[in-house]
Amino acid sequence: MIAIFKRDFKSFFISPIGYILIGGFLFVMNFFFKLYNIDMAYADLSPLFSVIMVVLMFIMPLITMKLFSEEYKMKTDQLILTSPVSVNAVVLGKFLAALSMFGIILAGTLFWPVIITAFGAPDFANIIGNYVAIIFAAASFISIGLFISSLTENQIVSAFLSFAIFLLLYIMGLISQSTSIIWAKTLFDWISLFTRYQDFTRGLFSLQNIVYYLTVSIVFLFLTSRVLEKKRWS
Amino acid sequence: MRNMIEVNGLVKQYGQKRAVDKISFTIKDGEVVGFLGPNGAGKSTTMNIITGYLSASEGTILVDGLNVLDEPMDVRRRIGYLPEQPPLYLDMTVMEYLNFVYELKGAKAPREEHLNEVCEMVGIDNVSHRIIKNLSKGYKQRVGLAQALIGNPDVLILDEPTVGLDPKQIIDIRNMIKDLGKSRTVILSSHILPEIQAICERVLVINNGQIVADDTPENLSSTLSNGHRLALRILGESDDVLAALSAIEGIKNAEALEEKEPGAFDYIIEVKQNEDVRKAISQKLSEKNLPILLMKPLDLSLEDIFLKLTTEEVSEDVENNPDLSNGEEEVG
Repeated sequence: MIAIFKRDFKSFFISPIGYILIGGFLFVMNFFFKLYNIDMAYADLSPLFSVIMVVLMFIMPLITMKLFSEEYKMKTDQLILTSPVSVNAVVLGKFLAALSMFGIILAGTLFWPVIITAFGAPDFANIIGNYVAIIFAAASFISIGLFISSLTENQIVSAFLSFAIFLLLYIMGLISQSTSIIWAKTLFDWISLFTRYQDFTRGLFSLQNIVYYLTVSIVFLFLTSRVLEKKRWS
Repeated sequence: MRNMIEVNGLVKQYGQKRAVDKISFTIKDGEVVGFLGPNGAGKSTTMNIITGYLSASEGTILVDGLNVLDEPMDVRRRIGYLPEQPPLYLDMTVMEYLNFVYELKGAKAPREEHLNEVCEMVGIDNVSHRIIKNLSKGYKQRVGLAQALIGNPDVLILDEPTVGLDPKQIIDIRNMIKDLGKSRTVILSSHILPEIQAICERVLVINNGQIVADDTPENLSSTLSNGHRLALRILGESDDVLAALSAIEGIKNAEALEEKEPGAFDYIIEVKQNEDVRKAISQKLSEKNLPILLMKPLDLSLEDIFLKLTTEEVSEDVENNPDLSNGEEEVG
């Protein structure tokens, strides 16, 4: 697992993709940081995390697209799946590599609380809560993307399919806000990874939603293992 | 000697199609065995099943006495696998890649020493810090071979190891495999026949998912050819020559082919088992003043064997019209 983790994590920085993601994310997010917090002298970072959730929709497919697709394409899956490493360990190694990549990207925003503290009195509990929550939310995005990547050897298809799923979840969230049909609202709120984040931005650290993100992650990691295992039997 | 690989009743079903159809064979420790067969015969599928990349639909596989299904990790530690397309990460350097494989396989040997030893074995020590993408095809294949050797596996499984290489690279890789086979069990597949002859002590001919022959390359050749044949080119009228030849004891059949040089015809002579008629032919023909311009043995080549084993009808061309100028037809 550690070998897989190390290789996949390093591979983000062998190609320019890792640097592009970091640069792009920080450019967009600092634009919003300036807009919301500097220009308006606002001490609450929560609105930024709502923006991050939307940005995740775009960057996560780029992080996860190649995790398995590239292995299939280059036939390196033949090396990995015939080495004395379990399928679960392979999946977990890749998941952690992608999560660490997101961690690096997110770490670029850690100067926000520093600046806020210098000029005002931030709510630290809320900030820490948001950082923790966004990592769990990202984990669920990653495991969905990882699962999609395990289905195709085409990275572009993998990225677009993941994006389409995230977009669908996002739209569900929008519909649930405007619809008056109760069952649809309940269902969409329950499914949408985006709606679930709103509690955190309201300053409410909802353990229920953390468990939800964790469950989604585990389910999709499990499904990914099943896909790999099933390939042997096809 | 103990059995290294035991395959029993192996079946792989893809939907309606049986890629592998009840294959059984045993490979002893230290044997170098070739899988010979056309593309799509089931060679790669069989290899992928032994290495654990695919699972069998039916049948059992034991590697060093361990069942592939029950103890997959222990089995995989014993096997080094070079698939048809070497599983390389093109954007890594050779050393980065081998380090990754070392960690992936959880190899126990001291790292630096082991990796250097492997690099030396396959002759890539001089490119170990280059990026794999920039290496020639021959070197990429060597890196693929190095990868299979990491962890000192007892068994090497090599799928078409020389495909797509130039003649010089092919010879290098063959010699490497021969060396590696001295202390390991090796299975390699090929549809290039001389390759199997050059490397392997035993050949399994696979066609349509079944084993159609299992023998040494030499034995196969002699069981399948009834007696041996001679090719001759003799100056003189073909009727005279045939008359002279028919008088010689030990010749089963003599046949005249076309006129290859002015006044000289080619002949194919079938000789009875265990007879050497060359001296008799030479003496008889010089008595009759019919000079021999060319005489050479014409064994059944593996190409011929292959056609015999894998086609219902023996090809007339191969049987009756071997071209004398084509020296590659012979078994070396």
